[in-house]
Amino acid sequence: MKSVIVRPERCVGCMQCMIACAVAHSGTKTLYGAIQEKPRPRPRIHIGAGLYREAFPNRCRHCSPAPCYYACLPGAIHTIEDRGTVIVDPGRCINCASCAMVCPFGVIRYHEDVFAPPSRTVAIKCDNCIERQEKGLIPACVEACKTGALIFEDVNVALSEKTSEVSRRASVGISEDKVQPGNPLQLLYKHKETLESLSRNEIRI
Amino acid sequence: MADREQYRDMTITEDGKLMLEKASTDGIETVWDRYRKQLPQCGFCELGLSCRNCAMGPCRIDPFGEGPQKGVCGADADIIVARNLGRMIAAGAASHSDHGRDLVEVLRKVSEGNAPGYEIRDEEKLKKVAMEYGVEIENRSVEEIASDLAYAMEEDYGTRKKALTLLNRAPEKRRSLWEKVGITPRGIDRETSEMMHRTHMGVDNDWANLLLHGLRNALSDGWGGSMIATEVSDILFGTPKPTESTVNLGVLKEDEVNIIVHGHNPVVSEMIYQAVNDPELVELAKKKGAKGINLVGLCCTGNELLMRRGIPMAGNHLMTELVIVTGAVEMILVDYQCIMPSLGHIGACYHTKMVSTSDKAKYPEMEHREFHPENAKELARELVKEAVENFTNRNPGKVYIPVEPVRLTSGFSVEAIVEALGGSLEPLINVIKEGKIRGIAGIVGCNNPKIKHDYGHVTLTKKLINNDILVVDTGCAAIANGKAGLKVLEAVSMAGEGLKAVCSALKIPPVLHVGSCVDNVRILVAVAAIANELGVDMSDLPVAGAAPEWYSEKAVSIGAYMVGSGIFTVLGPMPPVLGSSRVVELLTSGLEGVVGATFAVEPDPEKAASLIIRHIERKRKTLGLS
Repeated sequence: MKSVIVRPERCVGCMQCMIACAVAHSGTKTLYGAIQEKPRPRPRIHIGAGLYREAFPNRCRHCSPAPCYYACLPGAIHTIEDRGTVIVDPGRCINCASCAMVCPFGVIRYHEDVFAPPSRTVAIKCDNCIERQEKGLIPACVEACKTGALIFEDVNVALSEKTSEVSRRASVGISEDKVQPGNPLQLLYKHKETLESLSRNEIRI
Repeated sequence: MADREQYRDMTITEDGKLMLEKASTDGIETVWDRYRKQLPQCGFCELGLSCRNCAMGPCRIDPFGEGPQKGVCGADADIIVARNLGRMIAAGAASHSDHGRDLVEVLRKVSEGNAPGYEIRDEEKLKKVAMEYGVEIENRSVEEIASDLAYAMEEDYGTRKKALTLLNRAPEKRRSLWEKVGITPRGIDRETSEMMHRTHMGVDNDWANLLLHGLRNALSDGWGGSMIATEVSDILFGTPKPTESTVNLGVLKEDEVNIIVHGHNPVVSEMIYQAVNDPELVELAKKKGAKGINLVGLCCTGNELLMRRGIPMAGNHLMTELVIVTGAVEMILVDYQCIMPSLGHIGACYHTKMVSTSDKAKYPEMEHREFHPENAKELARELVKEAVENFTNRNPGKVYIPVEPVRLTSGFSVEAIVEALGGSLEPLINVIKEGKIRGIAGIVGCNNPKIKHDYGHVTLTKKLINNDILVVDTGCAAIANGKAGLKVLEAVSMAGEGLKAVCSALKIPPVLHVGSCVDNVRILVAVAAIANELGVDMSDLPVAGAAPEWYSEKAVSIGAYMVGSGIFTVLGPMPPVLGSSRVVELLTSGLEGVVGATFAVEPDPEKAASLIIRHIERKRKTLGLS
């Protein structure tokens, strides 16, 4: 089963995923239409800034077991097993914010929504774009991501790819092949050379 | 690369579809491929809500209200959208106006005798324009007049004047309206420069004030830079007269040396035109196994040559890559504007020699051979010779010229239209009054891969002429209509009864080609002349403009000077303004009370036609015409 996997080291903070998310959860499904809707749709993915102002795409991890599910007293939160998706039913939500209190990621928001009962504030969060997936589309945030910070993949497939990636880098390190880009060890060599030449007074800063 | 099914959604043209197929086979990436790779495009930018004007940013306003509503400096959505639009206008106005300046430079060098090969082709127009500029013409040589006129035009670019000279062509009512609103353009470069100043952080933070300056900046293009470009081009190369030619990729010849000129400025292409007619070079071509030298145009450089010399036209903006894919082009010479940086790479896949010619426009994988008025004649000859010699490098196995060319009539300058009407605009005004022609629509602008290639132009044009609206067109729109066969006498069969009768009597097509994109000013001049004749303002007339497939910043400036001159204008693609409802409101309705015209946006050309027809009928009613 595929899920949205976040690779934060690739995020450039363009926030295109936020725009795409809001549009995908609008009534009109177009950007120009969405910004004129009342209530205006809002993104379910949020970009935070880290210690070094680096961007971090934050979205519902669809935990299993999901703390929000257990915290929801009116039973508004349920799971669609075959999609690995935790869903809020806006019709049952009583805006008590219990789910937010237990959510480890802080990805739930409270506002009106075009698909909720009119004029009611309800809990809104990522639904893995189930509506799009049923049409054979991938989640809107992944489609919008230009850098591969968000991918839609089976988590084990993604991780085995990462294993190969790491293995290749390690073997480059062993063979001391300095041409390979992206080799973290290479950076060390470079610094080593610089430090050495500094100590020999060959270059000045 | 797209598959065959998709080509049908990409263009309505037969040559386009067939060449897209060949591009795919040859492994050539096109503008459509790159467009798809960009999707989805940046939503903040589409709405005009991103700002890169300073290093406290970049900033974005969240259109959904959750995130920031102000940039670091404090600018809100209205200010950011207005600033961005202002800079688009400035870039467009600068492009046209700098093009105009290059022509004035040639005019000056001709007057000094420093531009071999160039001459004053239209003395009558030189004198007419010189008089408008207050230049003495009695008992003076052509060179003396040209020298003073060039100097006077250069003054229009500067800061010494209170108003541009050619504004005098506009009706008195329009000029006093500009004065009252405070948007009389004072200097061509001044307004662009001031726009860059105003949009710097911490200067003009009143969105409405910024937009008004946007209109003034655009008017400095329409009644300044572009108008000078057109007038000086006519003076140097001749005022266009109706001429027959052909259009689409079928204009390339399998057994001749094909040379293409692409860009906007006629300064280089006119010299190439002279060189291809050099008997020695034609003889050389024969020696190399070709039957002759075939010069064809692309885009507006092509339009300039088509209007004045009847040089065939290969295609418009979205065809500029595909023309190389024919494998039949020995050389492409480019000047500037709308030349995709991808062209050089495509040229490298064939034998085509790619040559850039302007000191201000260099491109990847093109050979740079700089033209100046002093060396143009010599260099043109040299380059044509190299193109001829390149003929033997052509790989016949790679050559594919997909279609037969379509005929068209071009060359309808205002002067030519007046001549066709028997010496004055009165007959045209009369048929408009009688209602045989309901009104006039200018269809202008580019191609844009967001709109099916040529579909916007051709669909809109057909619907308008069918409703007895005379269409005048320029730029890529004109080429689209030419390819669709709308620029021949027989096209009257597609016109409504009234327009059909008028065009048949005058022996003109229902769609008149008035030139390149700087030549949109010919539309301004004609509309102003009609308004003057009737003693009304330009905004009172049953006239409209449309840019159904626009992409360029120049088109934004054109749209804004049309609206600023009182002409209702419908855009196809949405400009990046929707992030501010106030800006949208001003552009689409508020401006009516300011300059007597507004913008509308309608990507569906059928619906755009209805908007234009409704507008024209409303204006007729106000004028008391049935």
